Amino acid sequence: MSIRVNPGFIKELTKYGAREWNACFHCGNCTAVCSLTERGILFPRKEIRAIQMGLTEKLASSPEPWLCYYCGDCSENCPRDANPGEIMMSLRRYLTSIYDWTGMAARLYKSYAAHLWFMIFLFLAVIAAFVVFSRIPDSPEVKLNTFAPVHIISLLDHILLIFLGSFLITNIINMYVKIIIKDKTVKIPVWLYFKEAWNAIFQFATQWNITKCQRNNWYWFGHWFLFTGYILMFVMVIFFLDWFQTEEIHPFYHPQRILGYYVTAGFLFATIYFMIGRYRKKKEIFKYSHHSDWIFVVLLFLLAFTGIFIHIFRVNGMALPTYYAYVLHLAVEVPMVVTFVAFSKWSHLAYRPLAIYFAHLKKSARALQEKNKIEFVTQ
Amino acid sequence: MEESRIGIYVCWCGTNIAKMVDVETVAKEIEKMENVVIARDYKYMCSDPGQDLIINDIKEHNLNRIVVAACSPRIHELTFKNALKNAGLNPYLFEMANIREQVSWVHTDREEATKKAMDLVRAAVVRVNFHEPLDKLSVDVDPATLIIGGGIAGMSATLMIANAGKKVFLIEKNKELGGNLVNIDLTFPHMDSVQQLLQPKIQKIKDHPNIELFLETEIKEIVGYVGNFETKITTYEGKEKELKFGNIIVATGLKLFDPSKIANYGYAKLPNVVTSLEFEKMLLSGIIHKENGNEPKNVAIIHCVGSRNEEYHGYCSRTCCMTALKYANQVRSALPDSNIFDIYADMRAFGKGYEEFYTATSKRDIMFLMFDQKNDLPIIRKAGAKDKCDMIIEMNEKLSGESIEVPADLVILMTAMEAYDNAKDIAHTVGISMCGNDFYIEKHPKLDPVATTTDGVYIVGSCQGPKDITDSISQAWAASARILAAISTGRVDVEVTTAKVNEDVCCGCQTCIMVCPYSAISFDKEKNVSIVNEILCKGCGTCGSACPTGAIRCRHFTDKQILSQIEGLMMTSVQKLEIIEEA
Ligand SMILES: Cc1cc2nc3c(=O)[nH]c(=O)nc-3n(C[C@H](O)[C@H](O)[C@H](O)COP(=O)(O)OP(=O)(O)OC[C@H]3O[C@@H](n4cnc5c(N)ncnc54)[C@H](O)[C@@H]3O)c2cc1C
Ligand code: SF4
Ligand code: SF4
Ligand code: SF4
Ligand code: SF4
Repeated sequence: MSIRVNPGFIKELTKYGAREWNACFHCGNCTAVCSLTERGILFPRKEIRAIQMGLTEKLASSPEPWLCYYCGDCSENCPRDANPGEIMMSLRRYLTSIYDWTGMAARLYKSYAAHLWFMIFLFLAVIAAFVVFSRIPDSPEVKLNTFAPVHIISLLDHILLIFLGSFLITNIINMYVKIIIKDKTVKIPVWLYFKEAWNAIFQFATQWNITKCQRNNWYWFGHWFLFTGYILMFVMVIFFLDWFQTEEIHPFYHPQRILGYYVTAGFLFATIYFMIGRYRKKKEIFKYSHHSDWIFVVLLFLLAFTGIFIHIFRVNGMALPTYYAYVLHLAVEVPMVVTFVAFSKWSHLAYRPLAIYFAHLKKSARALQEKNKIEFVTQ
Repeated sequence: MEESRIGIYVCWCGTNIAKMVDVETVAKEIEKMENVVIARDYKYMCSDPGQDLIINDIKEHNLNRIVVAACSPRIHELTFKNALKNAGLNPYLFEMANIREQVSWVHTDREEATKKAMDLVRAAVVRVNFHEPLDKLSVDVDPATLIIGGGIAGMSATLMIANAGKKVFLIEKNKELGGNLVNIDLTFPHMDSVQQLLQPKIQKIKDHPNIELFLETEIKEIVGYVGNFETKITTYEGKEKELKFGNIIVATGLKLFDPSKIANYGYAKLPNVVTSLEFEKMLLSGIIHKENGNEPKNVAIIHCVGSRNEEYHGYCSRTCCMTALKYANQVRSALPDSNIFDIYADMRAFGKGYEEFYTATSKRDIMFLMFDQKNDLPIIRKAGAKDKCDMIIEMNEKLSGESIEVPADLVILMTAMEAYDNAKDIAHTVGISMCGNDFYIEKHPKLDPVATTTDGVYIVGSCQGPKDITDSISQAWAASARILAAISTGRVDVEVTTAKVNEDVCCGCQTCIMVCPYSAISFDKEKNVSIVNEILCKGCGTCGSACPTGAIRCRHFTDKQILSQIEGLMMTSVQKLEIIEEA
């Protein structure tokens, strides 16, 4: 079956940050230097070709873009300065949008203004909600659970979780359909799903692949620190909020405080490292920043920052400032979570390990097919 | 005949020869041969100290024959002949044995190679005994020049020579000057207007007092030799005219291949498949359009149509890649919203600024698609009702490995460029040879690129092989310089290793006249014998071997010289020479 080329696709992809796509003349250096390609899972040259030709179905069925951690080795070695690393990044943004059936991701990625206005709307909505529903307690002591009762916040958290989770899960199903089901060139035996699962879990927990290509292990550390902090915070907020948000002030060695410090340190370290990097533009990964990149790090930083203030005010018994800081904290968190988790950058937390899983599934299945074919021929 | 006193010089060529041939042993063994006075080996015979070695030995040892065993005579024969001349010896008393190209470079067994080298040197030594001194010949040069072909190459040469104050006859078979450029809009890579480059030149030629222009004229026959050629032409008014000139430039250019020979592309069947030249005419007319006058939405350009494919032409037509990029730019500027597909096999950006042109073009939103030119040409077919375009190009795209469909409303075929069907006639008229593709052959592809094996005849521009304007003009001016140099010297040397008829033996059968490829022999009816024109004769020897009575003797290649060389080759050890009686 021949596929129709689509010259219009490029215009679409440039909205996701692709640039210099046309400079590539397919020498293959990028694939040769990439530490993460392997036989059967080749990138980024192949994907660049599919972009140039507008082979959208092919791209939709490729897990490869997610396997790239954007170390920039390819961009540094490209003789035509085609920036293959950044092209892969833009492709991840594009893929995020096509997995998302609501069209939200595309809107946020393609328009800085849309993203910003949506955030501001949510930010103000959270503040308005407090103004309307919350009463400042009449006590000089900090009564956070009176100001924002844990069971109500927790309930709202769960509603948000179900809401965003259902989007994310449907997007993931969509991704699975596009990568595995619609690719008719490969059939995956059921037992392979079990065999390949451990690798995906390992990668999810450690992001070990980054160390393969990052000569600078600080990047891996920052990324992993942020990731573990995020997961811890998620677990605490969703499942143990009544343990985390207490009136009682525990001693500093109490697990509640230690966990809080860990998460905050992770957020601060990573966001400051990323912001300095993006500002300096020395490393390939930080050279080009899409608006979603900036919004993401700045919000994360503000989240950690307001969190610190809640803590300081609370420990020092400053009631009113604690409440204000708390409102700001949630006013930052809600837009952050709503826009990024299912519709933008943060969804890679789910897509990347799954893509690694899918890529290896396809690779193994292809190898099997190849072997069967050879056996068939030799018989 | 005076006694031979032979000097032998075996060259190491650095390690080129010495690593595979035991040069010292060769020299020592050959020194034992009769008449050999001295035999030496030396690191670089062609170097100044190497040549001095020969010169000093000639003087000191009173040598009268020299043999150099070294590289091919094509490379250094002249060098050593000059050394002989400098030492006061006739340069024809010299023979070269090629022990590099014919021995050290092609063998791997040192012992066998050394033996073979000795055999070759022996052959040269035995032969050189029979060499005779020959005298130089030179002729006057007529200062006028004939230029055949009024394309950019011929026009440039014409103006160069005429501006130097010399007469030029310019012959053009068409009604107008300019050749292929007449129909071309802009040039790559600078996108200058061709007509602005061309028209002033045409006007200058028409007005020039030193130029006689003959339009709609063709040349049938040229007689004479370097310095003194003659021809008769019939002008388009029907007047007969006799022209005399000393040098000839052939600048007959080339034409476009007929793409209807390639069924895949549907040329002449599908209405909107056009050749490059047809597209140039469309560009000159000012609008890019389909046959029905509408603007095309999808424009595809296909490279290498008839080039680089053994079924049509094996060679690359050289300029079409850049011409294709030129079109891509022109279409992008004229139709900003169109889809442009450049379907190529390899992108050849050979000239100065061309790679940059490619890079810049590749950023203008053009889809480049690669196909396999040898085994897998694209196919153009009519589109279906749902396709939203007029034609579909089906191809296997090489860089992605996918089978794809490309929409097209206008397809431009980058047709190959090929020699004119009558290229052979011109070759015959001026006495030059053609390569397998009917382009004219230069004297030496590296060292003498505009001269031919016929003295006084030069080839410039695309009749020698497809090339762009820049290269065509460079060649035209190179040939002009050569000719102006010959004119200013006033005389040119001609080779004296020619054939000579012994009138006493010639029976007047005229076999030689029939076989001579250079028409160098004429018949003297009064004496009833053949006569060789020494200046036209190339010394090829054909007549000598064809003559039934043995009346023709080829100087420097006499029977005695050749047979003695064979004898020398067959000697396995040094033995006394048997003098071979001349037949
Ligand atoms: C479509 C196209 C686009 C091109 N675009 C470019 C470009 O953008 N830039 C560039 O540098 N080059 C370009 N070229 C190449 C360019 O056309 C050639 O480099 C140039 O024409 C070579 O000039 P020429 O004088 O050698 O040959 P020609 O232009 O072929 O001229 C030869 C002349 O000799 C005449 N002639 C032939 N036989 C005889 C005979 N027997 N007796 C008398 N006269 C004879 C012919 O009528 C003709 O006038 C293009 C070529 C094509 C086909
Ligand atoms: S290194 Fe650059 S030019 Fe080469 S294939 Fe990769 S992106 Fe293309
Ligand atoms: S950025 Fe690094 S990981 Fe990504 S494709 Fe390039 S070399 Fe591979
Ligand atoms: S110049 Fe380009 S299009 Fe022309 S024959 Fe050569 S490779 Fe093909
Ligand atoms: S040697 Fe060759 S060129 Fe000379 S007259 Fe004989 S056949 Fe002609």
